[in-house]
Amino acid sequence: MIVVRQKPLKEIVKAVAPYRRILLVGCNTCAAVSLAGGELEVDTLVQTLRLASSQEGTGSVFEGAVLQRQCEPEFIEKLEIDDCDALLSLGCGAGVALLADNVDIPVIPALDTMFIGSAKGLASWRAECSACGSCVLGETAGICPITRCAKGILNGPCGGVNDGMCELGDRECAWVLIHDRLAKLHREDEFETTHEPKDYSVKTKNPEWDAHARGGDR
Amino acid sequence: MPIAVNTMDTHEDNNYFDENPDSTRVYSPCRLRCPVHVDVPGYVTAIAEGRFTDALEIILDRNPLPAVCGRICLRPCEDGCRRCNLDDPLAIAALKRSAADFGAYPIERPDAIRREKVAVVGSGPAGLTVAYDLAKFGFKVTLFEDKPKLGGMLRYGIPNYRLPDSALDKDIDYILSLGIEVKTDVRVGTDITLDELREQYNAVVITAGLQASRALPIPGADFGQVLAALPFLEAAASREPIAIGKRVVVVGGGNVAMDVARTARRLGATDVTLVCLESPEEMPASEHEVEEAQLEGITVNCSWGPREVVGNVGVVGLKVARCLSVFDADKRFAPTFDEREIKQFAADTVIFATGQGADVGDIGVELTPRGGIKADPDTLHTSIEDVYAAGDVVSGPTKVIDAIAAGHRASASVIRDLAGDASLLDDLNEEATTLGEVPELMQTKLEPRRRVQMERLEFYDAVRSFDEIEVGYTEYEAAREAQRCLGCTTGARLSREKCASCLTCIRVCPHQAPHMRMGGFLYFDPEACIACGACASQCPAQAITLEGHSEEEMSRRVEIALADAGPETILSFACAGTTELPYVRGDVRTLTVSCLLRASERLVLETLESGAKRVIFAGCAESTCRYPYARQLVHTRADKIRAALTELGMQDRFEVVGEVEEEDTVHLR
Repeated sequence: MIVVRQKPLKEIVKAVAPYRRILLVGCNTCAAVSLAGGELEVDTLVQTLRLASSQEGTGSVFEGAVLQRQCEPEFIEKLEIDDCDALLSLGCGAGVALLADNVDIPVIPALDTMFIGSAKGLASWRAECSACGSCVLGETAGICPITRCAKGILNGPCGGVNDGMCELGDRECAWVLIHDRLAKLHREDEFETTHEPKDYSVKTKNPEWDAHARGGDR
Repeated sequence: MPIAVNTMDTHEDNNYFDENPDSTRVYSPCRLRCPVHVDVPGYVTAIAEGRFTDALEIILDRNPLPAVCGRICLRPCEDGCRRCNLDDPLAIAALKRSAADFGAYPIERPDAIRREKVAVVGSGPAGLTVAYDLAKFGFKVTLFEDKPKLGGMLRYGIPNYRLPDSALDKDIDYILSLGIEVKTDVRVGTDITLDELREQYNAVVITAGLQASRALPIPGADFGQVLAALPFLEAAASREPIAIGKRVVVVGGGNVAMDVARTARRLGATDVTLVCLESPEEMPASEHEVEEAQLEGITVNCSWGPREVVGNVGVVGLKVARCLSVFDADKRFAPTFDEREIKQFAADTVIFATGQGADVGDIGVELTPRGGIKADPDTLHTSIEDVYAAGDVVSGPTKVIDAIAAGHRASASVIRDLAGDASLLDDLNEEATTLGEVPELMQTKLEPRRRVQMERLEFYDAVRSFDEIEVGYTEYEAAREAQRCLGCTTGARLSREKCASCLTCIRVCPHQAPHMRMGGFLYFDPEACIACGACASQCPAQAITLEGHSEEEMSRRVEIALADAGPETILSFACAGTTELPYVRGDVRTLTVSCLLRASERLVLETLESGAKRVIFAGCAESTCRYPYARQLVHTRADKIRAALTELGMQDRFEVVGEVEEEDTVHLR
């Protein structure tokens, strides 16, 4: 799932300040599951902005709507924009982008798109994947070094590891985790393999991709 | 072979609250056991938040006699309470009384909107209910009563120490405020005939009750100091002088016998003995009535059958024989005696409380072999097309609440016949299911909380007057008692359409009520839900709602609380569970909620937008928390609100206040 989180309120208030009628658009898929873009958050943010606006006396009007998924044109077609002069999207980057593609008014992001992650528990996620375009999880026992190693290196650990912890101090060393998991799976010898540098160009060659033409760009 | 991917888990059949319009309705056990299905969790929740008027309105929707039933109902609801196997059942009747005590009865604007006229004969619980229902529907109703005042057995049968006239009049005054015409001191059959009534009215409903006392045909039963229960109770209720001796023997083992014995005690008898056929286990009187009678100094003698009232000029005693068994193998009444074991109870007065019968022979409808009125059990039609009958006169002796239920059925039947609207009758016939016992996991997590004891007169004091024994809860005690409710069936409901399958509900529920099916579909096990609202408060898709709670309703309550608010008005959301609220200076409006989780972030911000100077979260304290897990979520929410307001430069407009020193506190509400 794509994990998102709300931008600082000050930033949002500043971004919507030039507009008078703003529609907040939530997304009932990843953003809702991230507890940042569902109906609850849309209603709360609408009310927060109304309060801020009444405090400032700007007279702006805020309304809310939620789409099942902002990243699908068919859902966006259902959106009633009426006489709004801006949209505030509570979706991930893809949602903001596709909304902006389909309307003739400015679309402002209310969220920051963080990573592709997994749920750890209530309101808690872990980054698992950076969408690099050439997956190595098969060799790294399911632990992504691109995402979970601070340096994103393919042959670790580096000299900064200390007692299993990364020198940044905020995470475990991904390469130590990979080593331990491989050992557990009796695949320790694979740790000796040196990985070739990744071809990041696969991701940047063409941002548009069509399942019917699959393989064409590889 | 296809691959089975959508394997359902074992709770498949347990989906009571699925959005399936065809599914049978689910009532909490208390509501299901109540013959009129009052929305008990609904009004208990309202009382828990100090909303007595809301509670009263919920009760009046199904029961027109809250002050009466709050005192003397035999409360089948409480036997079903799911707290029974935790500690004590909820004091549902006492809470109903508190709604009648502290709530404001609605102000009705009587307006008969229909032409049809209905006569109701008899103003006991069944008759009052019929009149209430039909007047509400818009018929012109006339209530005929043989006696000088309305109420039937409620007034003339039940002693004042259990049901004071003032309480009965409160209910009756409200019922009459619907615009019901009253004709007292009119006996139908004698003063006016049934045919005359049928000419003047489109329908006649007979709710005459059981007015005749049954006496035992034993020698000496015709002595002057041998009395029948009902005339005795009626005379006592009418405050007429009654000559009874110091030593009174009461014959009978039912609640009426208890009323008679306790009334005799209050009329000056010092030595009251109760004699009944049944063994202590078989006695039809409710256990607490027997207990209270004994505490008032009444001796209860079981398994004796009266043989003779012994006397000469006056009564000197009652001779009895040992009763061996009351019922035969088929559970029919067929007492057997050992005539060799004979005993005599000394008495100046003997009062028979050995059953009641109908007294409707002169009315002119077909009767049952026992002398009651024969009526269709579904529609309560009698042998005459436009004449209906309901209550004890049809069913034989029952509870007050059964008579009210019968009244509803009769009025639904009249409405169907006269107005062509069968929906009420259909509704009465619709079945409902209920919840099972509290699951084990939940039992381990719920703290035992005993019933709040009601203040009452000491028994040595009680027997000196007809003053009501039970004093009733204070508002505070009622709220505390109501907070013990497990909120059965008022918990989480899921909208499948809105659910994003985020699983947040599963992560926040302390009782494992939400379950997931393969495919990510959620459903809730209502048996494991205590309506704490944790899931609903966190659901990002707002797919979960609680019965009796909505954001719209909360906004409405805020609006009411902020009526005529000035620039200095502060709104305090107060947890109903806390015993002591902190004192805050200034114009503070308090909105009591069963848990502060009911006050959403959006609601707080809206309250500030609508002009409140400040919002306070008050009384969220560990020691008094009903929903310990929710407390954590309340504090997370408070942090979020504080953070948002800080970013907007309004940090001084929100505050959380917890428990403070005792001298610095005010009482709830």
